[in-house]
Amino acid sequence: MKTKLSFYAILLSIILIIIAVASIFIGVYKFEAGTFQTLYNILFTTQEINPSDHYVFFDVRLPRVLMAILTGAGLSLAGTTLQGMFKNPLASPDLIGITAGSVLFAAVTIVLGAHIKSLIPEAVHYSLLSIMSFVGAIMTMSFVYKMSTVAGKTNVSVLLLSGVAITSLTGAATGLLTYLSSDEELRNLTFWTLGSLAGATWTKVTILAVVVITSIAILINKGKALNAMMLGERDATHLGIPVERTKKLIVLLSALMVGTIVAFTGTIGFVGLIVPYILRLIFKSNYYFILPLSTLCGSILLLVADTISRTLVPPSEIPIGILTSIMGAPVFIAILIKFKKSL
Amino acid sequence: MIEAYKINYLAKGNYIINDIDFTCNEGEFIAILGPNGAGKSTFLSILADEIHEKGNKVLLKSCEYPKWCTKELPKHKAKFSQHHNGDIPLNVEDVVMMGRYPYFDHIPTEEDKSAVQQSMDCIDICPLQHREYNHLSGGEKQRVHLARVLSQLNNNVENKLLFLDEPLNNLDVLHQHRIMDIIKEFTSKGNTAIVVLHDLNLAAQYADKILLLEKGKKVIYDIPEQVLTQEIITKVYNFPCVVTKNPVSNNPLIIFGI
Repeated sequence: MKTKLSFYAILLSIILIIIAVASIFIGVYKFEAGTFQTLYNILFTTQEINPSDHYVFFDVRLPRVLMAILTGAGLSLAGTTLQGMFKNPLASPDLIGITAGSVLFAAVTIVLGAHIKSLIPEAVHYSLLSIMSFVGAIMTMSFVYKMSTVAGKTNVSVLLLSGVAITSLTGAATGLLTYLSSDEELRNLTFWTLGSLAGATWTKVTILAVVVITSIAILINKGKALNAMMLGERDATHLGIPVERTKKLIVLLSALMVGTIVAFTGTIGFVGLIVPYILRLIFKSNYYFILPLSTLCGSILLLVADTISRTLVPPSEIPIGILTSIMGAPVFIAILIKFKKSL
Repeated sequence: MIEAYKINYLAKGNYIINDIDFTCNEGEFIAILGPNGAGKSTFLSILADEIHEKGNKVLLKSCEYPKWCTKELPKHKAKFSQHHNGDIPLNVEDVVMMGRYPYFDHIPTEEDKSAVQQSMDCIDICPLQHREYNHLSGGEKQRVHLARVLSQLNNNVENKLLFLDEPLNNLDVLHQHRIMDIIKEFTSKGNTAIVVLHDLNLAAQYADKILLLEKGKKVIYDIPEQVLTQEIITKVYNFPCVVTKNPVSNNPLIIFGI
């Protein structure tokens, strides 16, 4: 079992690195010295590369690629752990309304926070936005959990319907804010609803890296606990699994990841649904495998989607949220068909 | 082995369990009997530390549950629940392996693997081990969980405790007796088993002691010959019966509906 998991993990990591490097060199701007020469110069020599190459490499594409990797890993890890906690493959942050909740708080922060924006430094501004998104995420998460779960058993219909309710509530509120907002705020809000990685900066990457890497480090070895929780919470407790603590960690960390990601990239939907779905086809629901592998697959998925989104119609971009939704909707329908009887 | 004093359990103003004292010793096979709604499962849940209620005092090996180390406890006691999640998209082998979760961190050792094989062998589910759990019948799923619980207690700890809540549901005669034999063998090694049963005759045949409950109260807790009498059983089950001697094993034999 050990060799199998590390085999897949290494294979996927290699694929991820290759795609990441390729992604840096794919785009409208072409590097003067050609792909391999530029890469060689940057990695192995101290030779100065020309300023525009330097700018595109270090300030545009590299942070964007890192952002895609972190966002993909975070969203799909959040999706996988939530599915484990709710014992249902449909529980992804967007479908149960957590993304919507954090979008609402982000929107409120943008519109109302515009007055104090000029007074505070950039890092604090981003932190404020991500803290507010996190608050929104964790509030909706606790609401949805309390609504749908009785004595450790989740009613899936209630879970999904409360997601629908929250999404429409935040839709209305975001609409109202759009109506009230000024031009610049409007542009910011539109960006949220479509989702994009175009705003990647090193500040954002650093904050996101801290959040996502900490969460991965804590959650990645919960495979055993999530497997045991499929038996039911009481039976998991008999196996020595700290069920309540695991659930609290999952709620807290997935809200933190989703909140931060929403604050920086807007709503990139369905990643937390697609990735675990594909992995379940191969590994069934064995979280020992799908938990670590979902982070890698999520990164790959989002990196590919982002590269496509910025190269398909140059020089403009298709918002990445549209691409992931195109992939996500069929997966959603496929899961619904599979679970038609049990829902 | 286990001591419980003044056990009460209230749900919505009704006493589900009313003032029961209970103790048992090493090596005993104890059956809990009673009509529907007598509180058998609830009482077992309280003994197994699933339900916590203020004022209830349950000691396992002279030590209260909250004082036990959570990592150590699963090696001393295990519970087989009455209701199982029917939807676990894993292979049978993986489900049984969950019984070994208290023993390894990430990678099961050879010892864990052989414990899993042993208990699957014992319960006769080896032919199913590579099938998906979700595709099994009710009785087969039941046996998978029995194998899981057995593998959990496959260790060197002395005087282990096993709780089983109606383990014989959905099982055919062969497997009913096979399971009872396994439990009997388990208790003969100094371990204790507390089992909720519906079949009085099986209880008469295998149990060392019987706890008879009625409407949340203890009726009698004694050896089968004392509990399974015509007078007590007719009254508690509110149904006429005759108790004779089993011609083969000399245990009490209850015949209902006469």
